[in-house]
Amino acid sequence: MADYVFELLLEEIPAWMHDAAQATLQQQFARVMTDLGVTVAPIVNSTPRRLIVYLPELPAGEADRDEEVKGPPVKAAYDAEGKPTPALNGFLKKNAASIDDVIPGGDYIRVRRTVKGRATGEILQQRVPQIFESLRWPKMMRWGAGEHSYIRPIHSIVSTLDGAHLPVTIFGVASGTTTVGHRTLSPRPIEVTSYNDYVTQLELGRVVIDAMRRRHVMAERARVLASQVRGTPAVDASIWSQWQYLTEYPGVVRAEFRPEYLAIPEEVLVTVMRVHQKQLPIRDADGKLTNSFLAVLDNDGDPDGNACYGNAFVTNARFADAKFFYETDRRRPLASRVEQLEHLQFHEKLGNYREKTERIVRIVTAMGGDESAVAAARLSKADLVTEMVKEFTDLQGKIGGIYAREEGQPDDVWQAIYDHYLPVNADDPLPRTVSGAMVSLADRFDTLVGFFSFGAKPTGSKDPFALRRAAQGAVQILLNRDKRCIKIGIDKLIDFAQQAHGGVDVKQDLLQFFAERVRTLLEASQYGFAYDEIAAAMEAGWASSLTDLVDRIAAVKAIRDEANFLSVLDSAKRIENITAGHTSTAVDPSKLEHDAERRLSELATMVGAQIDDMIAEREYRRALESFAALAPELETFFKDVMVMVDDEGVRRNRMSLLRKIGSAVMKIADVTKIVVDRSEYRA
Amino acid sequence: MARLTFQDLILKLQNFWAERGCIIETPLDLEVGAGTMHPATFLRVLGPEPWRVGYAQPSRRPADGRYGDNPFRLGKHYQFQVVLKPSPLEVQDLYLDSLRALGLDLTRHDIRFEEDNWESPTLGAWGVGWQVLLDGMEITQFTYFQQAGGIDLAPISAEITYGCERLTMFLARQASVFDIEWGGGFGYGPVRKQDEYEFSKYYFEVADIGLHWKLLEAYESEAKRCLAEKLVLPAYDWTLKCSHMFNTLDARGAVSVTERVGVIKRVRELAVGCAKQYLERREELGFPLLHGAAAFRPPAGGPKPAAPPETPNG
Repeated sequence: MADYVFELLLEEIPAWMHDAAQATLQQQFARVMTDLGVTVAPIVNSTPRRLIVYLPELPAGEADRDEEVKGPPVKAAYDAEGKPTPALNGFLKKNAASIDDVIPGGDYIRVRRTVKGRATGEILQQRVPQIFESLRWPKMMRWGAGEHSYIRPIHSIVSTLDGAHLPVTIFGVASGTTTVGHRTLSPRPIEVTSYNDYVTQLELGRVVIDAMRRRHVMAERARVLASQVRGTPAVDASIWSQWQYLTEYPGVVRAEFRPEYLAIPEEVLVTVMRVHQKQLPIRDADGKLTNSFLAVLDNDGDPDGNACYGNAFVTNARFADAKFFYETDRRRPLASRVEQLEHLQFHEKLGNYREKTERIVRIVTAMGGDESAVAAARLSKADLVTEMVKEFTDLQGKIGGIYAREEGQPDDVWQAIYDHYLPVNADDPLPRTVSGAMVSLADRFDTLVGFFSFGAKPTGSKDPFALRRAAQGAVQILLNRDKRCIKIGIDKLIDFAQQAHGGVDVKQDLLQFFAERVRTLLEASQYGFAYDEIAAAMEAGWASSLTDLVDRIAAVKAIRDEANFLSVLDSAKRIENITAGHTSTAVDPSKLEHDAERRLSELATMVGAQIDDMIAEREYRRALESFAALAPELETFFKDVMVMVDDEGVRRNRMSLLRKIGSAVMKIADVTKIVVDRSEYRA
Repeated sequence: MARLTFQDLILKLQNFWAERGCIIETPLDLEVGAGTMHPATFLRVLGPEPWRVGYAQPSRRPADGRYGDNPFRLGKHYQFQVVLKPSPLEVQDLYLDSLRALGLDLTRHDIRFEEDNWESPTLGAWGVGWQVLLDGMEITQFTYFQQAGGIDLAPISAEITYGCERLTMFLARQASVFDIEWGGGFGYGPVRKQDEYEFSKYYFEVADIGLHWKLLEAYESEAKRCLAEKLVLPAYDWTLKCSHMFNTLDARGAVSVTERVGVIKRVRELAVGCAKQYLERREELGFPLLHGAAAFRPPAGGPKPAAPPETPNG
């Protein structure tokens, strides 16, 4: 068994790009392995400067394979006497076959031939450059002569198959068997002979190639350093995936900022450390922020305290600024800034933030927001003209909330201001109050209707105003059912926002846009509904209540695996097919001729009323089951009664009767959209 | 490490880059916000001609002034700017060597290159690169220029911009910029503080708004006239003057959001016009630097782990 070691050495790749690049490489090389008939997975890793691939357990080459080769038509292969023509002889010669090898039958001459599999080395020489040169990075650059475009300039390549150099060339850089150690700690050449040796030699050269190991080392060191000051690191979801790609030789240092800065609101301190400095705050046993923090280090120690000094230096400088902004901002009440918003443009076609504020207030009022919600709406954007937000834009909302709190605004007001940008991402919390949810929705619908009103819809990967995100956040809020739930449909919210924008009409476009967001979110893991379940239920309406939509989807999901679902489905399909294009009228009992149809009509009225009651109580599953119970009667009806009779009055009456039955289920979901595998139901 | 002064830093960087085949230019004698705006960077990165230059550039950012009260912020600071065109593959190692030349033992510090891309809407320019963090502090902007004046560049230039005050403060272990030594026993504070105070007051409170708008107009039309006369270098000077007028008006709070977009666009149009005409003019001249300029060759010996011997300051 052979193995393959590959390393691409380049200049520092942005930390946030590693995970996606690794995933692509993993997938591409898994395909290479599969093609070689290997079942083990490739090992892919990366450091800031290296992309590493290890392919174990490789065979010498592809298996040989048999292949059928098509030759001349049989008609042209033999002459009148049945002797091979030159055409056939030429074909046989070319394929080193004799007349006995010809496969009998068919219109063409065919022979079987064995194709030699290519050697593994040959395959890798072709695939490896292909995979790396076609790797798409979010932001590419050119360098030197400027002829190639990649994430960063490429320096060298290690490519060894079974310990021997396997030459490959990527963007004009030829491979070898030598790499280098850490940029500053051990910048000496390292000769690569085997994978184990590569890992060990690099480790001696102060490079830990395994990102997960770097992460663990740092997490452990962070824990120990924090415990030395009786605290714990305030870890968040993204810290390690960021830190692990900022170092080749993982380390952590602890530093202290001046305790006086603890008087600055905690959110500001955390944002500065976490977002701007990529540092990790430390909290004490009570969860309070301490003036100690942690920083990543591309070195396993800080022998002279330089990194400790440097990190404290920058952080103190940042906090000095923050303190200045905090003190300056608080000299003026938040309310007095609303007027100033006139000078801050929201968008050239949509006016300034003062106008946006007015619209948000109008929408919240139309939603039935109480005094607090309206007060929060009025102050929601005031912090955009504070010094703090000008410097630390990601604090928008939070800072407004904090300033409002410090001015003595009631909880319901300041919390709504604080939360109204939530949720930004799918896993963010929602605003903690109804008022917060209302301001958030009003802000989002104002933005969406505004941009749609002049045609600035997202297209493909282009969404410069983050409208998809705005809509997705609105959907998340509207799906919520706890005490903060908002019982207003997307259709109404669009109406309110359209009125606030002076009566524009973008409703159809926007509903279509939202439908896509709703589908995406309900398919995502938290709900995990299937595409057809969602489509079926949405067909019966969704824009007036998303929680109702979820209930209906859940009912369809619950019943689809039951045996009587086939009855629901078949009945609905039959009704739909037969009544296609029919305009329904009330059923006229005098036109009912057969017993079967009279009975069905009675049942339809009775069961229909029951189903309507159940729907009113959102008992969708029971409603679907009642519908299923009609199946035998329908069966009899279809057997005994001919719908498509010549008498138009009778025909139309029968169709109206069927429609009446079908429409009951269509209020829950268009079940005909459900895809079933009938074999499942046979048992 | 002996206490490093502000001028030691500049002199060492000059000597370091001179030894590596750079021209040492002098600062542009106009008000600019960054060393990038010096024609030795903005215009020289255009076209096929090779170029290697280093220079200090006082950089005026009216809005950053703090009346000399903030120990970290200045309305005018000094950058040391290096441009290497085409970017040599070993440019990061050269840069690290320059830090070693300043007396840093990099095995005892934390050095990281973190993504930081650069874009200048007024210059129609952007690049890709990093901020270099020394022990967690940003000391250098490192950029591979991709476009300037709206023109795609090839070859690509590497631009290295050192923040001289920050680096000196850090190396001299001073907590305030005003406490560093400029040289010869003169303190940076006593030399510069009046300047910081007066210009902060001027830009924020006193600058005549009407006059600056008028000057902006006048400079703009003169820039256009120069372009029409095919005098691209004077045209570029007037473009930079426009940019400074805009920065002053902005610091003075005299530019509304709508106006802002408009003025940036006007300056960019001038910069784009200059870039285009500069390239045409160089072509007419037969791209003089293509002939006779020695190819880039770093001094023999490769990266040196230890600092090279001190070079005399005169």
